[in-house]
Amino acid sequence: MFLRLVADSFGRRPRHKLLTGAALALGMAVATAALSVSLDVGDRLSREFRSLGANLIVTPEADSLPVEIGGVDYRPANAGAYLPESDLPKVKTVFWHNNIIAFAPTLKVRVSSSTPQWSPASATFVRSSSGGDAELIGTWHQRAVQLSDGSSFVTGLEKTSPWFRIEEGAWFDDDAEQCIVGKKFAERNAVQIGSPLYLAKGNSDDGESLKVTGIFSSGGPEDEAVIAPLRIVQNYLKRPGEYRELYVSALTKPEDDFARRDPKTMNADELERWSCAAYVSSIAYSIKQVLPGSDVRVVRRVADGEGRILSRVQMLLWFVTLAALLAAALAVGASSAASVIERRSEIGLMKALGAGSGTIGFLLAAEQLLLAVAGGAAGYVIGILLARIVGQKIFGVTPQPSLLVLAVILGLAVAVTLAGSAIPLRRAARYEPAPILRGE
Amino acid sequence: MSQSRPMFWRIVRRLIAANRGRLVVILLALGAGAAVTAALLNLQIDAKKRLTTEFRVFGANVIVAPQRLGAGSSETLDESVAKQLISIGRGRHIAVLPMLYITVSAAASAGKQPVQVVVAGGARDLSPAGVSADPEGNKWSGVSENPAQPACSVGARAAAHLNNLKKGDLLTLRSGNRKGECRVGSIHSVGGPEDDQVGTTLELAQRLAALPDRVSLVQLYVPGRPSEIQGFISDLQKQIPEADVHGVRQFTEAEGKLYDRISGLLTATVAVVLVLTTLCVMAAMTNVAMERKNDVGLMKAIGGATRRVLRLFLAEAATLGLIAGLVGAAAGLALSVALGKAVFGVAAQPRLIVYPVVVALTIVVAVAGAYPLRRLAGIRPASVFRGEA
Repeated sequence: MFLRLVADSFGRRPRHKLLTGAALALGMAVATAALSVSLDVGDRLSREFRSLGANLIVTPEADSLPVEIGGVDYRPANAGAYLPESDLPKVKTVFWHNNIIAFAPTLKVRVSSSTPQWSPASATFVRSSSGGDAELIGTWHQRAVQLSDGSSFVTGLEKTSPWFRIEEGAWFDDDAEQCIVGKKFAERNAVQIGSPLYLAKGNSDDGESLKVTGIFSSGGPEDEAVIAPLRIVQNYLKRPGEYRELYVSALTKPEDDFARRDPKTMNADELERWSCAAYVSSIAYSIKQVLPGSDVRVVRRVADGEGRILSRVQMLLWFVTLAALLAAALAVGASSAASVIERRSEIGLMKALGAGSGTIGFLLAAEQLLLAVAGGAAGYVIGILLARIVGQKIFGVTPQPSLLVLAVILGLAVAVTLAGSAIPLRRAARYEPAPILRGE
Repeated sequence: MSQSRPMFWRIVRRLIAANRGRLVVILLALGAGAAVTAALLNLQIDAKKRLTTEFRVFGANVIVAPQRLGAGSSETLDESVAKQLISIGRGRHIAVLPMLYITVSAAASAGKQPVQVVVAGGARDLSPAGVSADPEGNKWSGVSENPAQPACSVGARAAAHLNNLKKGDLLTLRSGNRKGECRVGSIHSVGGPEDDQVGTTLELAQRLAALPDRVSLVQLYVPGRPSEIQGFISDLQKQIPEADVHGVRQFTEAEGKLYDRISGLLTATVAVVLVLTTLCVMAAMTNVAMERKNDVGLMKAIGGATRRVLRLFLAEAATLGLIAGLVGAAAGLALSVALGKAVFGVAAQPRLIVYPVVVALTIVVAVAGAYPLRRLAGIRPASVFRGEA
């Protein structure tokens, strides 16, 4: 009988039920879309922030003090300490290895460049000189690093410094005798793509010849530089298998006061909590542990700015979500309140026929619940679709539908409809059937 | 007609006041919609503007340097360039920081082995936020200023190489036969080349370098959208032809990308929320409007023309929309001010244009929600009274 009454109510007034259901579904769609976007945005934006480049720099601990002005180190070529390249795969073995999205080792040396008149095919000579006018940078372009689990990880300068742009030609090949030159360097020395560049040793004019495959610009001091595969620069400096600076780009969680504490002052519990959060400082700490003799520094300019903007945008979206939830809840509540109010005469009739207030409340609540579940589910589907469109448009990646959101949405739908119906139902319980049936 | 106008509004009044429960329901739904619309629209406009000022934490995004600050070249600019920049950038809230870099040999105390170190003159504070220092200021907070012995900020790595220099120590700087001293005001660690440098006043660096009134470069922070910054850079280049003005591409490019992403995200989210909220409110309104069947039947029975009856109900809906819009939009603007304060620490400025737009939108939604009543034009009064349909 109970089920028949519910079914009858839906069958008799399909339009009303449809409208209440539509309001519910739309309200819940708002909530789903906003929730899905907010849940997803931290990861997505944190990946976008990697276009700022490396947020960690690894240097040898025993290094002498760099004398660097405007990105140019004026130390003599062989001063300072180096780190072994063979340790690098260990960077991907730290606890936060999935958060490390790129790294590139570099070895730099000041060089002076010259393009002698007599040289054939406009060959350019560079030779190591501490007062030189250019820089020779050895690094990886796209290097497949073999990891201990058998997989390989492709990384290099193109990922750690995405603002380096090839203006003409192409990147060099890590295994070939090739190089790319900065825009200003190319202008000054009239370097063309395909022309040779000699790494001269001592005062002689012979040396290893590299083919210029591209001209790049960085908008920074590197525009005066030559970039070649790390191996070649290592051989040139007689430093095989060594590098001086490692740039690491890692996905991090915005830092709070706890993150900034010195791990040495923490007790065991705090240290565990600290190292189990993807703070940039805890990632730095874990990298330092796998690279002996290294000094890992956080690029504060990048890391702090990133953390600050990320937490603000996230907070902003949470507020938008909250506001959307509130509006959806009020509109849905209003809609279900209206559907109870309009049934005064029906309630009066049921009471006249001997139904108790409890039974009537139960009947109406059951109807509303049915609507809430159906409307909530429909709203979830619409919301997920909208969140996908937003995610695809903005980040090119669709957010994963999460069951957590479905649970929250259904719970919310039920809570909102019941709350919306509660006040009119309480009033309905007090109705006297006689005046209602008389039409008063 | 002159007689029927007061009557018209009297009926509307009665329609509104007839059922208090229904009135509350409608006002709640419409008001909530209006409040959220107003809050989000206002916040969205404000947040985009705030975002560009947030990028300030990345530090300088434009560098003014001598034409060929080629490696090894020691060319400098005249310090007056900084003043010129300030006057060009007036009203743009730019931060200007003239710097002079020199290499000196520094010693923590007499008799100790001196270390080659770079002195960055002009940077009171080499942390990224240091660039937001006021253009004229060379004052150190908390350290008494003494021209003969200014304060300096030593990078953590430089300090480690200088016998673990500590705050309050005296640092002797020598360049050729010129000598200067500074008192260590702070030790900074920012993860950049600044950690290897000693930051001090521009005057001290100029004296050590024997380059009075010269600077190596000027760091600028220019707020604004990427296109605005690009425009400003080409403006500067035209007005200061003797210098090379360029953006720090690492930051300008990333800022542009991030700005696009974040503002796109905000716009999309706000648009989705607004459209759905509107539809949701409209569905709720339609539901309420459908109940007026009996009223319509009665009015038609006593001789009301369909169009006049419809007009009555639309007038009722518009009045309710107006009331809910006026109250809701005001509440929403207040809400957005509070939200702006919570997120950015600065109260969002209420844009007055949002208010009328939201009120108008609420009226439109209310009327659109009541519009399905036109279907009731086909109602036959008799069947309503017989309790059919």
